[in-house]
Amino acid sequence: MATAVTTEVVSVDQLKVRYGDTVAVNDISLHINRGEIFGILGPNGAGKTTTVECIGGLRKPDSGSISVLGLDPRAHAKELRERVGVQLQTSELPDKVYVREALELFASFYTDPREPDELLRLLRLEEKASTRYVNLSGGQRQRLSIALALIGRPELAILDELTTGLDPQSRRETWKLIEGIRDEGLTVILVTHFMEEAEYLCDRVALFHHGTVRAIDTPANLGAGLGQRISFRSTPALDLDKVRELPEVRAVHEQGERIVIEGSGDVVAGVIALLVSERVVPEQTRVEQSTLDDAFVALTAEADAELAATSGEAV
Amino acid sequence: MSSVAPTTAGKPPQQRRGGFLSLLITEWALLRREPMILFWALIFPIGLLVVLGSATSSKPQAAFGGLRFIVVYTPVLMTFTLTLLALSAMPATLASYRDKGYLKRLSTTPIGAPRLLAAQLALVFGLAGSVVILIMLVSHFAYNVPLPSQVIGFILSILLTMSAMASLGLLVASLATSQRVAGAIGGILFFPLMFFAGLWVPQQSMGPVLRTISQYTPLGAAVPSITNSDFGHWPGTTHLLVLAAYTVVMLRIAIRFFRWDR
Repeated sequence: MATAVTTEVVSVDQLKVRYGDTVAVNDISLHINRGEIFGILGPNGAGKTTTVECIGGLRKPDSGSISVLGLDPRAHAKELRERVGVQLQTSELPDKVYVREALELFASFYTDPREPDELLRLLRLEEKASTRYVNLSGGQRQRLSIALALIGRPELAILDELTTGLDPQSRRETWKLIEGIRDEGLTVILVTHFMEEAEYLCDRVALFHHGTVRAIDTPANLGAGLGQRISFRSTPALDLDKVRELPEVRAVHEQGERIVIEGSGDVVAGVIALLVSERVVPEQTRVEQSTLDDAFVALTAEADAELAATSGEAV
Repeated sequence: MSSVAPTTAGKPPQQRRGGFLSLLITEWALLRREPMILFWALIFPIGLLVVLGSATSSKPQAAFGGLRFIVVYTPVLMTFTLTLLALSAMPATLASYRDKGYLKRLSTTPIGAPRLLAAQLALVFGLAGSVVILIMLVSHFAYNVPLPSQVIGFILSILLTMSAMASLGLLVASLATSQRVAGAIGGILFFPLMFFAGLWVPQQSMGPVLRTISQYTPLGAAVPSITNSDFGHWPGTTHLLVLAAYTVVMLRIAIRFFRWDR
């Protein structure tokens, strides 16, 4: 994997999409490399689905340029459909189609498809092969939908809400499956709500908000930017004002009997030095690295604040 | 439990069917799982033919323009079948596929969604054509209804009737917002169309005004075209033009308004 030549599979520049008066996507640029699992995160209405629909050639951008596998998604739609597998957020199959029948049908659309049996096995649908779509559970439908997205042996898979509706075990298994296929050279664009999924699976993540990209980085770096958090119970009460004076500390609050201190860089070292000099013994100490979840909340809050500040002038 | 075919792992990949043929076969398999459609479009018309053919008088009736009842009724049953398939079954199926996002899903694959439309049309034409031939054969061999001796006229009449009904079906599919709406519109249109075809009152028994109006409706034009062909006459250029005009106009509107996505 490490030796794979880094080539750009998807390149989106200054994408803009409008629905009537609403700007759904405003100036988005993304560059995704071969073999990468690229996450797109954001709240509802952030423009995630619109963006991936443009990449998949399902929607025409109002402006901006898109290149997928070196092709224009609108002009070379037919060739791209052969090489890009798409799992749509809400797409169902005819009620009375059997699982195996659906897989064989979709396999017939491609020149070099995977074997339906292989996908039945990979997605644990073997026992459901002779079940009608309408009788599948939500999770089984979702797994079938993933199987159909992968059946054409795509070079790029666009997976919108990959594991929505799956139980935790199926979710883990689906992640392993995606990792396994990625190791064969598949590039994945993953639209997700689940931070845990993005942290586990994604090489890089773009945080979307109000049709713009707020940040693109690895999940670890996005979290690290926010620093660390230390929490503990202190038996002699600690003077919180002294904690606030520490330069690394950003926020201090009490959660029941616990003191929670957030800060950047060396906040843990600074707090421990203070505890020693104050002769306070911390109990049940917990140190956490900020997660993608925190980064996401922080960035969207920041963006909302900006928006609130500018909307007064704009409207 | 139903058995699952053995895995093909390790075997050389078998020759696969082309995408369009697979779509067609799958659509046919799905239709076979709809007992109501099968009953009303295939079994009911043949059953009605047998009942009417056996129960009604074998003498020509003045009220039927000097023809036997079953001779008058056979073309009506032919239009019944193809109208049900093209106007009730097809639009409801297409509207449900759009509702489900299945058409959009297909448009992300190399086959594309328009091929599904083509498969549905091929299915309706093939199935309706087969039942029409079956009705023709049963009515001839069991009840001595003449085989159409104006062959070209007959084929032209049937094809144009199917085209007109399929265009109307597509129009319903393009205007309906959901499967239920498509079913309702198809059902409401079915009765006046079949009335003018002569399902309840044969055209020969209609008054002159009603009969003239009838000739300018698609099925009202279709039935005399088929009857004329039965007796070796040209179907009537006006009738064929009426059917062709309906096809062109409704198809144009359908294409204008058809949506692939919700």
